[in-house]
Amino acid sequence: MTRFLVRRLLLTIPVMIGIVFLVFVLARVIPGDPCRAALGERANDTICNAFNERHGLNEPIPVQFALYLQDLAHGDLGFSIRQGRPVSELLIERLPLTVELGLYALLIAVVIGIPLGLLSAIRRNSIIDVLTMLVANLGVSIPVFVLGLLLQFIFAVILRDTFFGLPPSGRTVAGAPVVPLAVAWGLDGLGGPLRGLLDFVSNMYTVNYLVRFEWERFIDAARHMILPAVALSTIPMAIIARITRSSLVDVLGLDYVRTARAKGLAGAMVVRRHAMRNAMLPVVTIIGLQLGALLSGAVLTETIFNLTGLGRTLYEAIIGRDYIVIQGFTLIVAIGYVVANLLVDLSYAVLDPRIRLS
Amino acid sequence: MTTSSASLVEPPVRIATPGRLRETLRALLGQRSAVVGLAILGVFVFSALFANFIAPYPAEGSAAQLVRPGEPGRRAESCIHILGCPADRPETIFGTDGNSRDVFSRVVFGARLSLIIGFATVGVAIIIGTTIGAIAGFAGGFVDNLLMRLMDVVLAFPALLLAIVIVTMIGQSLLNAMMAIAIVAIPVYARVMRASVLSVKEQDFVTAARALGESPRGILSRRIMPNALTPLIVTGTLGIASAVLDVAALSFLGLTQIGLAEWGAMIGSEFNGIFSRPLIVLAPGFALTLTVLGFNLLGDGLRDALDPRLSR
Repeated sequence: MTRFLVRRLLLTIPVMIGIVFLVFVLARVIPGDPCRAALGERANDTICNAFNERHGLNEPIPVQFALYLQDLAHGDLGFSIRQGRPVSELLIERLPLTVELGLYALLIAVVIGIPLGLLSAIRRNSIIDVLTMLVANLGVSIPVFVLGLLLQFIFAVILRDTFFGLPPSGRTVAGAPVVPLAVAWGLDGLGGPLRGLLDFVSNMYTVNYLVRFEWERFIDAARHMILPAVALSTIPMAIIARITRSSLVDVLGLDYVRTARAKGLAGAMVVRRHAMRNAMLPVVTIIGLQLGALLSGAVLTETIFNLTGLGRTLYEAIIGRDYIVIQGFTLIVAIGYVVANLLVDLSYAVLDPRIRLS
Repeated sequence: MTTSSASLVEPPVRIATPGRLRETLRALLGQRSAVVGLAILGVFVFSALFANFIAPYPAEGSAAQLVRPGEPGRRAESCIHILGCPADRPETIFGTDGNSRDVFSRVVFGARLSLIIGFATVGVAIIIGTTIGAIAGFAGGFVDNLLMRLMDVVLAFPALLLAIVIVTMIGQSLLNAMMAIAIVAIPVYARVMRASVLSVKEQDFVTAARALGESPRGILSRRIMPNALTPLIVTGTLGIASAVLDVAALSFLGLTQIGLAEWGAMIGSEFNGIFSRPLIVLAPGFALTLTVLGFNLLGDGLRDALDPRLSR
């Protein structure tokens, strides 16, 4: 198992280097002058020259790449051209929201998608099956932004003053204080990556309030997460339900399952002990592949629910030609992909011993 | 002479004879999802074809008669005469948007645009994708590796984000947004085509055709294409659904022209209206959802009808 893990980790290194290079090139291919995009009316040749000098944009592209790699090796992601702040600071401020949102969405998708798929595979062609597949079809057909708006309309307009009413946008009620964990725990003097990590976690508001036992604020923050998380979860949920169903239907038709039935095992036992394990392999793969859908969805969800996370920041950076931010954030996305793939491979190894050994 | 030798190597392929077509159609109509999908799409095709007659107002430009008399700048509420709306007020079903344009008319005209977007985008993606896939499958070796790894790279990026980058690169317009979505979709068709080429390339009837002196182009169009058609049609139909969805998403983000009578753009420019006048946002939203659902259902039905091996 350790050897499998080490080999798998080593394999990610060339992939990461390739991604870093590609992201760098892609960011440079976007035409348009970053100086004029950032300064707008104020831009003239003298100012832009100084601007480009300061951000290292006057150097030849290969030199820029070398400098970029050098900074990366020091853990420095550079300065945002438009906002004049370190990209790492932006990441710590904005990525946690998207991570939080994505995790809740994935949780909803898995917790609802897998049982739905199981149920319709076991009761194939029943009314449950037909209904589930109809819902799954609707789930992949409704655009994230339409569903988000529909949810806002139902829960923040129609049901506003009822028990089921939910806040339409934002992360907390206006003016709710968010104390960084480092400050709350008297670790203000802490610096370096550990402080960064602590600040990162602090900016996941639900986690922040939870670990400090501020129940009322926690419930408020969680209520703000519900609508965007549900909107973001539908596509993965529908896909997970479909794959679970078709995969389990396949496995239930295999000889070894018939043997298990023939030796007198109860139906539920056959599914749980014998069929599930094999049927879960494609499901795990598809869950790992949802990261892309979640990210694309995050851009739209954050727009609708007025949240400033990774999706919105990346979108604005692309439109504003903020190369450094595009690079930094895309790199994080790429690392996310690599980690997701790694987790998928690891869960294969857990689910299927043959993969571990070969 | 040539005819008899050709019949000796008659390939086991589907040939589109009238009987074959009728058989396929019957299988398709036996699929519940296909029938529902076709019915939904029928409504939108109808409204796209006859938009000029169905829509009471033009889609573009503001309609002066919809500005409420004496209240310039006020948006007209939904007002349907037979439901008790005073006859002196202009009739609008879903109300008007921020530019005093009738939302119902724009939704009707939007069907035209969305259907064109779907077919054109997938058409371009299929043409480029199948070409790449065919070359990769035929050539094999280094060329195959290079092309398919390139496709993997495109697939590795989140589709919408890559499309946003492409649109920013080539400029914001509807045509460029469609181009971007087409580019992002190419790998899917390249993979389907390559798989089809590989599955029949080494079979006897292809070898025989080659021995008889048939040109590579002839082999491709007469021997391989018929085999690739089924998966391409199924993937393409499902692809139209996601193309319509993705172009609408770009439009929603404001990456196409402002004021376009396209469902995504209509939602994007008015989405804050959800709290005060939900219909002007939800009407194009439902139209979009139904169209995508129609193509998805039809695609599922086609797969089950054309390729029983895939149906579950």
